[in-house]
Amino acid sequence: MKDGKICVGAIGGAYGVRGELRVKSFCAVPEDIEAYSPLTSEDGQQVFHLALVRQIKNGFAARIVEVATKEQADALKGTQLFAQRGQLPSLPDDEYYHTDLIGLAVLDTGGEELGTVKSVQDHGAGDILEVQRPASSETVLLPFTLAAVPTVDLAAGRIIADPPDGLF
Amino acid sequence: MSRSVWKGPFVDSYVLKKAEASRESGRNEVIKIWSRRSTILPQFVGLTFGVYNGHKHIPVNISEDMIGQKFGEYSPTRTYYGHAADKKAKRK
Repeated sequence: MKDGKICVGAIGGAYGVRGELRVKSFCAVPEDIEAYSPLTSEDGQQVFHLALVRQIKNGFAARIVEVATKEQADALKGTQLFAQRGQLPSLPDDEYYHTDLIGLAVLDTGGEELGTVKSVQDHGAGDILEVQRPASSETVLLPFTLAAVPTVDLAAGRIIADPPDGLF
Repeated sequence: MSRSVWKGPFVDSYVLKKAEASRESGRNEVIKIWSRRSTILPQFVGLTFGVYNGHKHIPVNISEDMIGQKFGEYSPTRTYYGHAADKKAKRK
């Protein structure tokens, strides 16, 4: 997350010759990218009012109000689309956005620093936090369960972990 | 051809021993295993296995709906990070 902005998609270039664009969505439900419109570029200078037209191979054909021609669409090729963090709907207890968890400090129950959250993964057996150890390139995988992670304090920017034996 | 039913599910014997020892000790630990080919049995439910993916041990919490699958299915050998975007994680 950069300055409260989250990358939710990217423009792949023009689609056809009538000003439509090829858009790739990074959202959990790909169609949701439309709900976060208006989107911005990384620097926030450009604003895009996005409307999905139809699904195509590897993404969506979309229209952006500000883009009328194929040349304009081609000029936007590679542009990443950002939404504001505040646009995401609030979640129930014990559910968190990956983007909120990434970067949090991980402390053990004694207050000793274990590292920072590098990524959140899910391989089908529950979510896993990848914790980057301090002053090291080593990462440790911590199950994101109530037993292993009893406290998530987003306001304070930290996670209290009670990792199983043999992890750290 | 699928495995004959009369043989029962395949499990490496050391996995059974480690799981039994862990259950008896009652300790909260990750059971490190290298056997990706072993079948998940009902007696493994509730335990956490660290399944080797050729690089590191991926923690796998065993739940009832995983019975009959292989450990390796939950420990991918290639990692794709992708974008966080609006993806959610739930603490269970």
